[in-house]
Amino acid sequence: MDGLLVAHGLNISFEIVVLALVSLGLAITLGLLGVLNLAHGEFVMIGAFSAFFVQSQGWPYLAAFPVAILACGAIGWPVEKFLIRPLYARPFDAILATWGLSLLLREMVEFFFGRGFNSVAQPIKGTVNILGADYPAFQIVVMLAAIALIATIVFWFLRSVTGRRIQAMVDNPDLAKAVGIPVDALARNTFVAGLCLAGISGVLLAPIVAVHPSMGIDYVLKSFFVLVVGGLGHILGLVIGSGVIGGAEATVSAIIDRTSGYSFVLILSLLFLWRRPNGLVAR
Amino acid sequence: MNTQLKRREVLAGMAGGAALLSSPAVLRAAGNEAIKMGTFFSLTGPASLFGPTQTACTALAVDQINAMGGILGKQVEIVAGDGGLSPAEAAQAAIRMTLQDKVDFIVGSHNSAVRQSIIAAIKGRVPYVYTPLYEGGECAPNTYVTADTPQQQVKPALNALNEMYGTQKVYLIGNDYVWPQKLNERAKEYIAAFGGEIVGEEYAPLGPGNKFDDAVTRIRAAAPDLVFISLVGGDNVNFNRSFAGFGLDSSIRRLSVLLEELTLFGIGAENSDGLFSSMSYFTAVESPENDAFKSQYAAKFGADGPPLSMLGADAYSGTHCAAALLNAAGSNDASAVMSASNGLSYTTATGTAVMTNRHVNKDIYLAECNGVAFDIVKSFKGVAHGETCSV
Amino acid sequence: MNAPVLRFENLTGGYGSIPIIREITGRVERGSCLCVLGRNGVGKSTLLKMLSGHLPAMSGQIALNGRDITSLAPEKRHDLGVNTGLQERPVFDGLSVKDNLTLMQSDQDLEGCEPFFDAFPVLKDRLVQLAGTLSGGERKILSFVRTLKDNAPLTLLDEPSEGVQPENIEHMANFICKHKANGQSFLVVEQHLHLAEEIADGFQVLDNGRSVLECKVGDITRGELVQQITV
Repeated sequence: MDGLLVAHGLNISFEIVVLALVSLGLAITLGLLGVLNLAHGEFVMIGAFSAFFVQSQGWPYLAAFPVAILACGAIGWPVEKFLIRPLYARPFDAILATWGLSLLLREMVEFFFGRGFNSVAQPIKGTVNILGADYPAFQIVVMLAAIALIATIVFWFLRSVTGRRIQAMVDNPDLAKAVGIPVDALARNTFVAGLCLAGISGVLLAPIVAVHPSMGIDYVLKSFFVLVVGGLGHILGLVIGSGVIGGAEATVSAIIDRTSGYSFVLILSLLFLWRRPNGLVAR
Repeated sequence: MNTQLKRREVLAGMAGGAALLSSPAVLRAAGNEAIKMGTFFSLTGPASLFGPTQTACTALAVDQINAMGGILGKQVEIVAGDGGLSPAEAAQAAIRMTLQDKVDFIVGSHNSAVRQSIIAAIKGRVPYVYTPLYEGGECAPNTYVTADTPQQQVKPALNALNEMYGTQKVYLIGNDYVWPQKLNERAKEYIAAFGGEIVGEEYAPLGPGNKFDDAVTRIRAAAPDLVFISLVGGDNVNFNRSFAGFGLDSSIRRLSVLLEELTLFGIGAENSDGLFSSMSYFTAVESPENDAFKSQYAAKFGADGPPLSMLGADAYSGTHCAAALLNAAGSNDASAVMSASNGLSYTTATGTAVMTNRHVNKDIYLAECNGVAFDIVKSFKGVAHGETCSV
Repeated sequence: MNAPVLRFENLTGGYGSIPIIREITGRVERGSCLCVLGRNGVGKSTLLKMLSGHLPAMSGQIALNGRDITSLAPEKRHDLGVNTGLQERPVFDGLSVKDNLTLMQSDQDLEGCEPFFDAFPVLKDRLVQLAGTLSGGERKILSFVRTLKDNAPLTLLDEPSEGVQPENIEHMANFICKHKANGQSFLVVEQHLHLAEEIADGFQVLDNGRSVLECKVGDITRGELVQQITV
């Protein structure tokens, strides 16, 4: 019985951590740049296909990270320049544009890799016994890597010179320009970094889930729920939002079933949109 | 019921005759016009993965039918519809297809909700052939089911696994909609019949892909001998990857009822130990007919064609069935086709099938996954479909 | 005579397609301070934002040390030596006072600020506080220090004394005069004469979007000036 509780606890933690990781990139583009990037999930998908590509070439799994960053960067840079930048002040148009982009990216990947499911082998096989619960070793690694990545980025954002300049740009764009911050370039780099982060989470998730061109849809919706609940004001909102959404879904799923867990999250998000549209941690 | 139907048919026939008389242009053109076949395959939506092979296999069947002289002496022309639409949209598309495009018959491969709305929309005006495996019980007028029924697909497989491995305790997991739920009702009867026990049952929502770590944890706690899986597509992949990731594949067997080549490729070689599938078609089936079918398919589409799988082979057989139905009836008149259907034999990917009660008795195969390929471990010859539709 | 540090000719512009200022011409000589005066809403801030690059010029020309900068972005003008203090939201509210002062440095060194801290000890006391928690006047002082501490060749200030206590306005004036003596140049928009009188070498008075008076500091009496900006 103890082992069962530990197993459910690990499942819930995994769900929360993965959700936070995938949402972080979306939080960057939405929270910092005001662009609701509906193609965010497609960059997770591109990351996952990077892992598949690397495996099919016979390269080691770790090579997928630079490949994913290169791919997301190479796509993200022109996308920011020609599609997103003209629409920074027009959020609704940006939503439409990124929706179109998501279709385009799916078609593109479909053209190269086909529409079918692909499998990426787990680089670390087997299970480890944690307090009486057998848990996949690779998922432990993913959890630790995700926590390390999130912590690094949050620390960097709060402490580095560039992180402070990004905060300054978001806080007061006119003043940021006046003090000499190259706002256009910084916004582009920030946007591309958010996309690369999505790609990295795709690489981490690829060995666990079905890799196919439409997989991105699975992620963008729940990430959006996280930001609805957590709010865009602070990095803390992301952590709390992931905890609430991932935790609530996993807990209700564990106690009742998946359908109830999914419905619960949907209702929770709608309640937030209705009663508390700025989320738990408002700006 | 039957007399009512007849009266409606007669009325429709009279109306049609009047229309023909009042428009001689239609009458003149009818002689050399093609015969129109409407299709509903999964071009978009969650099952769109299967669309390309369905479309390709159907094109192959149409080539063969046309080479043999067509249907009622006319060449077949395809009017493609999308079976991946919502039921309401599919109904509208079906109405357009029958009234505007004036198709002569329809072949469909899509989920059961769409099937029900298409049937309601076309009201038996044209023959409708439904091809993918399903939950059974469809007896709507002028509707012909070439699909695998639960009695064919599930019963022999559960019995065989029970005999081979003594699988008594079964855990049911499926997606939350009509097909898995009705299929599981039937599965429970079959399991009860050999004295087995259900140790768990759960459903995951259709829609965005699910993670199944919690379900796998519950399954481990319930300690079944067999997991009976009616998850579809990405969920089927995700579940089986989690299942093996948690190391359950070494101790618990799995039987999945919608597991074909494309899904297995997503599950991956390292996650398919102890995983079984039961269907009327696998590319691995060894028979001269299947070899011929595969080589014709390869000849038409080359090595880069859509990967062949069960849902494509079903669409191929369903198209041949429709052609045989109309040719045997001598028209697409509902009552003529209904009575021609009983005892009708037609070409399938693996041989010849015979239709009774508007369903099909057929050979069923139990396959065990070997990496990302299927090994046929048992063949069940001429399994009865168990449906009782009137003709 | 040397070329002026800043020269603008026939500047017309505003928000959207509606011009707020029309055909304004002026210049700032090296080591001097031009004060732009006028009542509320006559286009002073619009002029400053066009000079800083935050608003585009519909027509006219801006030259910095003889170089045309009319179409350069604000951050590019900054790189060429123009430091700007804005009237509204003059500081980064979400950053600490210290981060506001060191944002554009690679380190967090505050050495350049020490002389200012002597005059404005309130800033030194609140280095770790978020700038958004300061009073309006304190924010103006923070903005003032941030703008002056880099010793830029040209500094544009939009109502730096707004809400600032009189003794601190004195300190501001002293700093500007000291920097002028070092050869730095200023263009300061003001609504009140308190600061302007102490720092200006020339005045330019705007009314209704047009320049109505340009003069050197000795060419006009206080009474005449007061009349010009209160009519």
